[in-house]
Amino acid sequence: MTDTLCGYANRDETIVGFLYDELDADQRRDFNAHLLTCTVCRDEVAGLRAVRTQLARWEPPALTSLRSPVPGASRPGWWQTVPAWAQVAAALLFLGVSAGIANLDVRYDQNGLSVTTGWNKAQPASPKLGTLQTSEGGPRLVTSPSDGGTKLVTDPSAAAAWRADLAALERQLRTELRAVQASSPAAQAVRAASSSDAETLRRVRVLLDESEKRQQRELALRIAEVVRDVDTQRKADLRNIDHTLGLVRNDLGVEVMKQRQSLNLLYRASQRQ
Amino acid sequence: MTWTDEELVAKSIRGDADSFNELVLRWERPIYALAYRTIGREEDARDVCQETFLRAFRALPGFRGQAKFSSWLYRIALNLCRDWIRRERRTPVVQPPEDVDLLELAAAAEPSESIEDLVARQDLSRLVERAMALLPEEQRTAIVLKEYHGLTFQEIADLVGCPLSTVKTRLYQGLTVLRRELAKNPRTKGTML
Repeated sequence: MTDTLCGYANRDETIVGFLYDELDADQRRDFNAHLLTCTVCRDEVAGLRAVRTQLARWEPPALTSLRSPVPGASRPGWWQTVPAWAQVAAALLFLGVSAGIANLDVRYDQNGLSVTTGWNKAQPASPKLGTLQTSEGGPRLVTSPSDGGTKLVTDPSAAAAWRADLAALERQLRTELRAVQASSPAAQAVRAASSSDAETLRRVRVLLDESEKRQQRELALRIAEVVRDVDTQRKADLRNIDHTLGLVRNDLGVEVMKQRQSLNLLYRASQRQ
Repeated sequence: MTWTDEELVAKSIRGDADSFNELVLRWERPIYALAYRTIGREEDARDVCQETFLRAFRALPGFRGQAKFSSWLYRIALNLCRDWIRRERRTPVVQPPEDVDLLELAAAAEPSESIEDLVARQDLSRLVERAMALLPEEQRTAIVLKEYHGLTFQEIADLVGCPLSTVKTRLYQGLTVLRRELAKNPRTKGTML
């Protein structure tokens, strides 16, 4: 700016450097000495400091965190937020649906144990191509060339032996099941479900509390805003009324003055007569 | 452990996306504030902020560390702000929301702050905002970088690509205009000398 009465060298730049503390020691000392004698610069420095104080009041709106712009950054998988019981249920559902789609058919009749998959129902026939014999007289996996299904077929003559084996296997499985029942996934799922429910309830309560507090704050602020608006309007109305009254008073005053002048004229005229 | 920007940049270049996200978390607020104070529109400032980090991520392999990461980010953000101003072909207009964002205000309020103080503070903030919107872009940018981001005169000169003396002149002129504008308003007049 050139409309000042001070001729200090590089004045504008020096003032800015002084304000932001970016003068070197010599420059600062010189300018400090100058300020003692120059009221123009002193006032300007004080004024610009006041501007800086006001600038500190400018606050941008709050920013909600950006979503990660980087693809591939690790985030907790959605399944990690699903309760354990729901994961177990989903797994069971998946198995059920899979079995349905594969049309899994398990039979145990006079022909022995038979497990079949595939949609085209094949006639019970002796295995042809694709037979896989697992052991002599034991069950065989048979892939049917006509429908693509897979069958597990047992020989009737060996059925009795297989029944005994199956009974033994069943007993063993039951024993093992009982042993692991305490720590079975189902039991864990139930425990997880109960703890998960408690956690969910707790979260819901916290959310409700926060929501309530927010609403209360909002209401208080809205009321404050309304009060402020009403107050502003009231002040504006009062100003208008004052202004109008002032105009009326002026008009009255002018009128009274005219009346007085007329009376004076009349009085002087009557005195002359 | 707290990593420095440079360490996070090096890890990001090696393919660690989490490190870059850490940089985003660290710098999103300053970059958003810079964008908002430069262009004055909340939504656009958020877009500029997002775009800044996207561009930075894409250009990261080419970042040689010749400047501080923050300076590099500021440069990208400022260029985007300039593009925005040119594209819009208008002076940035600060658009305070129609209504006071009360929830935001409440969240930002000091516990001891009364509602009246809160509203007064917001009003003053808007006054400054409007006064800043009157400045030419170069002066506003210089003031924003100096006042709110604490850059040195030399850093600003390097960022915006102009001589050091020009930065000082822009600051002086901008502050002088602000002083005049703020002195016009009854609420700030008393504080202006």
